[in-house]
This record gives sequence, structure tokens and C-alpha cells, in this order.
Amino acid sequence: MTSAASPSEEKQPEVPFYKPQHNEVALFEHAYRHQLPMLIKGPTGCGKTRFVNYMASRLGRPVYTVACHDDLTAADLVGRHLIGDHGTYWSDGPLTRAVREGAICYLDEVVEARKDTTVVLHPLTDDRRILPIDRTGETLHAPPEFMLVVSYNPGYQNLLKGMKPSTRQRFVASRFDFPRPDLELEILVGETGLDATMAKRLVNLANALRALKDHDLEEAASTRLLVYTATLILGGYDPLEACRAALVEPLTDDEETTTALMEVVEITFGI
Amino acid sequence: MEEKVGEIWHRLITRAADQRHPEAAVSLKSVERSVSLLFRALGGDGGLEVKTTSSDEHGARRSLLQRIAGSNKTVELAWRDEHSLRLPAIVDWFPESRLNRDLYIWLAALAVGEPRHEEPWFSRNQRLTAATLTRYPALRPRYLRLVEAHLMQRIPLAKLPAAEKSQERAIRNALLQPGSEPRLPPADRPPQAVPLWLHPAPPLAVAERQSGDDPDGKGDRGNRLQLEDEHHRKGERAKKPEAQDKGLITIRMENIFTWGGFLNLDRGSEENDDLDSAADAARDMNTMSVSRDARASGGKLRFDLDLPSEANDDLVLSEGILLPEWDFKKQQMQDKHCRVVPMLAADAAPCPLPAQLRRTANKLRAQFQQLAPARCWQYQQQDGCEIDLEAYLRYRTDRASGRVASADGLYKDLRVGERDLACLLLADLSLSTDTWVNNEARVIDVIRDSLYLFAESLSATGDQFAMYGFSSRKRDPVRLHQLKSFDERYGGVVRGRIDAIKPGYYTRMGAAIRYSLRLLEMQPSQRRLLLILTDGKPNDLDKYEGRYGIEDTRRAVHEARQAGLQPFCVTIDNRANDYLPHLFGTGNYVVIHKPTQLPKELPLLYARLTA
Repeated sequence: MTSAASPSEEKQPEVPFYKPQHNEVALFEHAYRHQLPMLIKGPTGCGKTRFVNYMASRLGRPVYTVACHDDLTAADLVGRHLIGDHGTYWSDGPLTRAVREGAICYLDEVVEARKDTTVVLHPLTDDRRILPIDRTGETLHAPPEFMLVVSYNPGYQNLLKGMKPSTRQRFVASRFDFPRPDLELEILVGETGLDATMAKRLVNLANALRALKDHDLEEAASTRLLVYTATLILGGYDPLEACRAALVEPLTDDEETTTALMEVVEITFGI
Repeated sequence: MEEKVGEIWHRLITRAADQRHPEAAVSLKSVERSVSLLFRALGGDGGLEVKTTSSDEHGARRSLLQRIAGSNKTVELAWRDEHSLRLPAIVDWFPESRLNRDLYIWLAALAVGEPRHEEPWFSRNQRLTAATLTRYPALRPRYLRLVEAHLMQRIPLAKLPAAEKSQERAIRNALLQPGSEPRLPPADRPPQAVPLWLHPAPPLAVAERQSGDDPDGKGDRGNRLQLEDEHHRKGERAKKPEAQDKGLITIRMENIFTWGGFLNLDRGSEENDDLDSAADAARDMNTMSVSRDARASGGKLRFDLDLPSEANDDLVLSEGILLPEWDFKKQQMQDKHCRVVPMLAADAAPCPLPAQLRRTANKLRAQFQQLAPARCWQYQQQDGCEIDLEAYLRYRTDRASGRVASADGLYKDLRVGERDLACLLLADLSLSTDTWVNNEARVIDVIRDSLYLFAESLSATGDQFAMYGFSSRKRDPVRLHQLKSFDERYGGVVRGRIDAIKPGYYTRMGAAIRYSLRLLEMQPSQRRLLLILTDGKPNDLDKYEGRYGIEDTRRAVHEARQAGLQPFCVTIDNRANDYLPHLFGTGNYVVIHKPTQLPKELPLLYARLTA
């Protein structure tokens, strides 16, 4: 079963913190206004999900988030018949619900889903904007407020799982990367309330660790990990140990690499 | 008796004169991983290798004791060029091993900065130091500790003549406050070496060789020889303690041998006069086996052959299978740069599996038969052993809601699945595989056994597989020996070809990978695995060595990955951890430390990879 989310709007009335990196906010608004689906690509933890939540509350729409995985079937998105006390009844999937309500449907890590699953998105993503449901014989016409957003991580290990080109070219696409150092600093300060000097050291450290991607590390240190580290530090945890716990250990299992990374931490961050 | 006394005196005096601290020594080997990672983290180029420096004569003033003992003539200083980061093999400057370790870290951090070799040594190092300290303020305490410890070791100002005094004072100030001294005051002697700084004049042989504005190549040779000379000394260093240190009392023949290193250089320049005969000689030597223990001559041979190959490098190839090659300096693909010649040992007689492998082969076959695709449930079948409840539910609900539903596909069945997988094994058959791994076997024998067992195991699973061997002689030809193509059945003929493999030539890995990529692309399978079996770095006679070869191979691996293949490297090179992460990425290679284990490990590795 999917993590069929409930609309998140009611739960978090205030707009989540988000610092635009580029023109992505304007692009999203334009896409929303002209009923174009959007594709977001970027590395883990660079703020894709946060951006979607931010835009949703900015536009005043609820979000249905689906975390995709390789067992995800079309029925998980569209809906299925369930057995009730008085026979069977139809239950909408998150996609169908979003179409009915005119919400934003966000498919996270869409490449993880099997390719045949994502084909159900096709009629929704061109100018027809319809969602045919075979099981019930219904055809839903998406209201103007409905928007489909998908995201994936192009540098991910599993390159065999690309996105089908025919699916990919139905979207307006935007590439995310880790924010520039000055922006990342503002993000850290804004998100956690860490003081600027400490935040600056953390950002320097993260950029040093990012230089090791592909050669020594499989993935770069994400902004999310930085936020974790900052949270630990703010909570009074020893800064060096916080770096070890939230930045170094999550990035590698190899002990030698860990020791070497701690050396980097001490130099770029240390006291 | 005389000799005995001499030895005792020598030991005494060198110990008294020695300022080094072998008990606290830190070797590059022990810190290499940390240092190289740090270098990259601080912004150093990921393609550079960490290597040891050579020791150079510094010619600076020594203390009286050192002069008597005849020690402290040479110093090892760090530098960085476009291929490598050079660090001393051992640091024993300081009495605490922590300080020695810190020196490594400091040098790596310092070397990250822009080298700008044309800038004078004195101001360059101050600029680099100041920049490093500003960027990483956390390094300052370590730096100050190192400076403090080092200043204690320098000859005190009071003991120096006036001219050297002002020079020494400038150096001390520059160390304490980098950037404060714009100019080094002149003196009769070179200043004492500063281990915290980078090399004043590193032998940048390769960079200059490539500049190429010297029409007849004379300049090239001089520089290249300098590089080989440095290798030479490195080889000799192990001998030096015995040979050179006995020098004060008795004059022994060993001393003359140590001079041999320098004479070598002269002889080299003599040969320079006659380029043709040098090249001729080199061409003749081409057929000679290069063994690992003759390092100096091997290096020399390679140098001489460089000239002709560089000269006709622009030749465009037209026949055969032409593949591109990546030039990292120009950052562009050179189209039709390599010619791949597929080869087939047609006359190899079919042969049975060698007797000593039979037991292992049987065991592996049994294991691999179990690996053959497991059975799994197939849904929505016309007929099957159980009801597909999901399909049935859908059918019932459709009917209940009044729609016409077809009643086929309501069963599920347990059937044998299919492994949709193709694997190409590419084995390195270069000359380096001729070396012996133990008393019985050479690397090539180990590779041969591995190929046998690999084929035996895979034929038990029913997976699609092919096996090729490769070697190269410069970019034309790159030989690809077909051992088994995807279409052939594994049997006596294939075994005959495996039996016929022999070591030869060099390792132009990029071209071989690109060729395999084309073969694998023709396979319809969903998963395509490219297994590369090698014993060392990519290298060839021409410029395909060091970084050029590495970058080209890396590019080829990248292309393979983009084509949806899964490249994986198996190596028996113990130093592979230095360059394989850069080539294949962590987790996409494995180093087999005991080569004799390779035949058994390889099939198991395959099983893990495809599981």
C-alpha cells in the first residue's frame, strides 16, 4: 500500500520555510496557472519535497504525496475496490482524490515506480487532462487547480531505472542542486536558528564533503543532513560529535573513510 | 678492526648529528587515505594520485656535527603537479608522531592552492600558507605548533654568517607571519630547507614535455631524463644507509656506485646527440620483456619510445573497427583514435577442463544450479494451481456492478522465472600478467583458471555470457581476443581458446571497454553486466599512461553506465584503492588480495552481483 497521504493543508496552516535558489517559484506558479505538470530533479535532501509543500501552501492547495517504490501499481495511484460489509466499494487512490479535489499530487522518486505504472499519468499530463478509471468506467476531468508534480534523483545509483522518455517529455522540468553557500547559510539559519558563524562553518564543511562525491563517497552531504547537524548543535550537543553523528556516519560505513572524514571535519570546522 | 672502529664512530656521530626522530616517524602509507581524502575535500583534483617524493640535495648550510657525520645532505619536500600530489615517504622531522602526522595534513592542505610554479619559491609559499590559513582558520593552531617545533630545529641565527643571517631571519618571519616578507635576501648558499613549504623547484617533467615548442625534441629529452633520474634515486635510496654512511673513514667502492646515479644522466645526454640510433635501439628493445625488478631500464625504454609515437600521433586511422578516445587535457573526444582488431585463436584445439579444476568446477556448478532462477507466482493466468484472489475479486465486483466481465485469467501459477541477464567478461591479457604470484603460478595462469571456472559456473545458470581478452600496442591495434561470444555454446572449443591465452603488450582499457559496450548493446537482455578483470592500471606505450589512461578509462566506464550497462571491476592490484574509486566509483569494484583466490572468488562475486 502506498503512503496515501491526507491533505496536509489543514494540519500546517503556516507556510513552511523555503529559500528560493533560483527562479523555481516563478516557474512553478506559471506552470500552475497554465495547467502544466512539473518535473523536479535533484540530489537527495536538497529541498525538493519542501519546495512542493511550500508552493502548495503558497497557492493554497492541499498536497497528496506518494512515495514511489517498485511495487507501486497503477491501482495504488488510481484506486481499487475494497470489500465492505455490504459487498465491495470503490476507494479512490491519492491521484484520483487529488484530481477530484483539485489538489497538487506529488509523486516523490517517481523513477522507483515501475515504468508501466507511470503510464496512467499520460492522459493527465497532456492537454486532455483526464483520468480514465477503467474499473468504475468513470472519466475524471481535472479541474484547473489540479497539478501533477513528480521528482527524482538523476544521479542515483540505479541508472537502469531512468524515466521513460515519453513520460519525461510531458513535463516542465526544473533542476535542483544543493544551494549556493550563502543561500545554504541563510537556509540553515532560517530553518534552525543557528548562529551565523557556526552555520558558515557547517556550510564550508558540507562543501568540502561534497567534493568527495563519486570518488570517496557515494552521495554528497545533503542540506537535510546539515539541518540535522545544526539541530543537534543547537540542542547543546558537542559540535564535533554532532558532525560525526549527523554528517560523517550517515555518509559512509567504511571505518577508514570515517576517520579521514573526521580529519576533514576538524580542519574545516574544528575549534 | 679498523672497519669496526669506523662503524662505531659512524654510528655515534650520525646519532649525535641526527635531528630526525625515527621513533616518531609517520609513513605516507599509514596516512595516505586520510591525506588524499582531505586533499580532495579541500578542493584538490580527484584525478591526482598520491605518490612519494624523491630526496634532493639542498646544498644548504649544515651544522658542524652533520658535516662531520656526512648526514643531512638531502631533503624530501612535497609538491603537486598535474598528475600527482607528491609527499615524503616518511616524515620524521619532529619528536612527536602527532606533529609528523600534522605535517602531512598541512602539506596536503597547502598543496590544494594554485601552484603557479613560475612564482618565486619564497613568496609562493607565503601566499599559499596565508591563503590556506585564511580559508581554514581551524588549521592555525596546528600550523603554529609545527612552526614552533620547526624553528627549534633550524640553525640558530647567532651561528650564521651575516649574509645568511638576514636570509634566515626573513624565512623565520615568513613562517611566523606568512605574507609579511616580500623578498628573500640573497646569500651565498641556498637557504635551509623548509619542510612546511612546497618544493622550490619540483621536477615538472611531464608538463614541460607536453609544451612541444621545441622542434627537434631536444628539450623534451632533457626533462624526461630528469624524471627518470628521480625514479632512479628512489630505487637506490634503500642502499644508501650502508653505502654512503661509511664514507668518512674508509673509502669504499660503494661510494662509486652511488655516484653511478649521476653518471647515468651524463650517459643519457650523450645518447641525445644521435636520436636515430637511440630510437633504433629502443625499437629493438620493444620485444624485450620488461620485468618489474628492472625498474630503471624499463622507465628508460618507455621514454625513448615516446618520441616516435608523439611524432606521428596525428595519423588518422581508417580501416577496421575505429573507436574514439578521450583526451582529458583537451577535454574532448578524439574520433576514430583507436583501432580494435578482434582476434580468434582459430587453431586452438578443443580441450577438456584441466584436472586440477574439476573438483572446484563441480562444486561451483552445483552451487550455481541452485542459483538458477527461482520459481515465482505468475498472476492472471488462464489456468493455474490456485485462484488469483485479486483477479477474482475484480471479476466479481465488475459483475456485481452490472458490467460484463470476462472470466479468463482468474488463476495464478508457480512457474520458473527468467533471468534476463547478459554478462561480458573482459580479461586483461597484458604483459604484466606474466609476473609470478607465487612459486607455481603466474597472474595469467590465475586468470586462465578464473576464466575456466567462470564459464563452468555460468553455463550452469543458463545466463547469457561472453568472454573476451584484451591487450594493446599503442592505439593501433588494440587486440580483442574472442574467447566466447554470446552466440557460442560453452564447450571444448571455448576451453581450447582459454587454454591458448598468453600475456602480451599493454592495457588500453578504454578502447576495450568501448568495444565491449558495443557488443553488450546488441544483447536484448534487460540487465547487462560488464565484468572487467585486471591486474593493474590502464597503461600503454604512448601517452596512455598515468592520468591520460585513467581519465580515458573513466570516460569509457561512464559511457557504459549511460548505456544502461553495469560495469564492475575485479582486480588483484593491491594499490587499486588509489585509482579504482575514481574509475568505477566506490562499490563498483573489488580488490582480491590473494590472487590465487581469484578463480574461486570470481563466480561467487558474479552470483552476488546478479542476485
